[in-house]
Amino acid sequence: MSSTFTIHYFATASQYTSKNTESLPAPLKLSTLFDELETRYPGITAKVLSSCGVSLDGEYVDIEEDKELLIMAGSEVAVIPPVSSG
Amino acid sequence: MTSTEPTLPPHLDPRTYPRHYHDPTKNIHLTLTYNPLDANTYLSETASPAAGANVLFLGTTRDTFEGRSVSQLSYTAYPPLTMKTLTTIAETAVETHGLEGVSIAHRLGSVPIGEASIAIAVSAGHRKAAWRAGEEVLEACKEKAEIWKREEFVDGRMEWRANADRDSEGRLLGDKAV
Repeated sequence: MSSTFTIHYFATASQYTSKNTESLPAPLKLSTLFDELETRYPGITAKVLSSCGVSLDGEYVDIEEDKELLIMAGSEVAVIPPVSSG
Repeated sequence: MTSTEPTLPPHLDPRTYPRHYHDPTKNIHLTLTYNPLDANTYLSETASPAAGANVLFLGTTRDTFEGRSVSQLSYTAYPPLTMKTLTTIAETAVETHGLEGVSIAHRLGSVPIGEASIAIAVSAGHRKAAWRAGEEVLEACKEKAEIWKREEFVDGRMEWRANADRDSEGRLLGDKAV
């Protein structure tokens, strides 16, 4: 069985990908996450990801400052668009 | 049902709700639920013999957005982050205003027009702290809580909202304001 991590999409990110969740190959360097998503969903970086946060296993990560971080098999990533509670 | 059918992640599965968090020392109550919000529940959670002021805010769903008719709204959350964020907001309010209690509840899934999507109850010794804390908690939730609103219009279109686009009086902000 291949190694994967889970990625969850919300709001505009789920609209763009037409998915709530999927599995992507692990390990993956955090710095290449947006490139990986851009390959799968052309245009997503400019239209959606540029205004999104990212969490890894329940903690926010910084795509630039934490770029050496590896997303390991079994990890849970979430793409967090601007929020709209209330 | 077949094994190839995609399974709903737990945070989108109503059967994994309601989700509660309770801190008895700070008297903090958090609720994420697919059921209607009951205001009395949150008022009783924050009630205290030491409290002389009890403030309740209910945010209810509106039937228009920029003059267009909204037929239905729905909300999703990501509790691993949402609960942490709400905990921080509630703890900050308790510490800043010396509250006797705070309860934050948000409804998920489809919310019919006119029903409450968010309820905030705070209690304090005196009214000034309670009023201020109620407003601060609401504004912090709107800014930070990982919950997303989707509006469905009567023409069938659907749009995801972003609170950062508007201020507390509903005015457009930043580069979206023209």
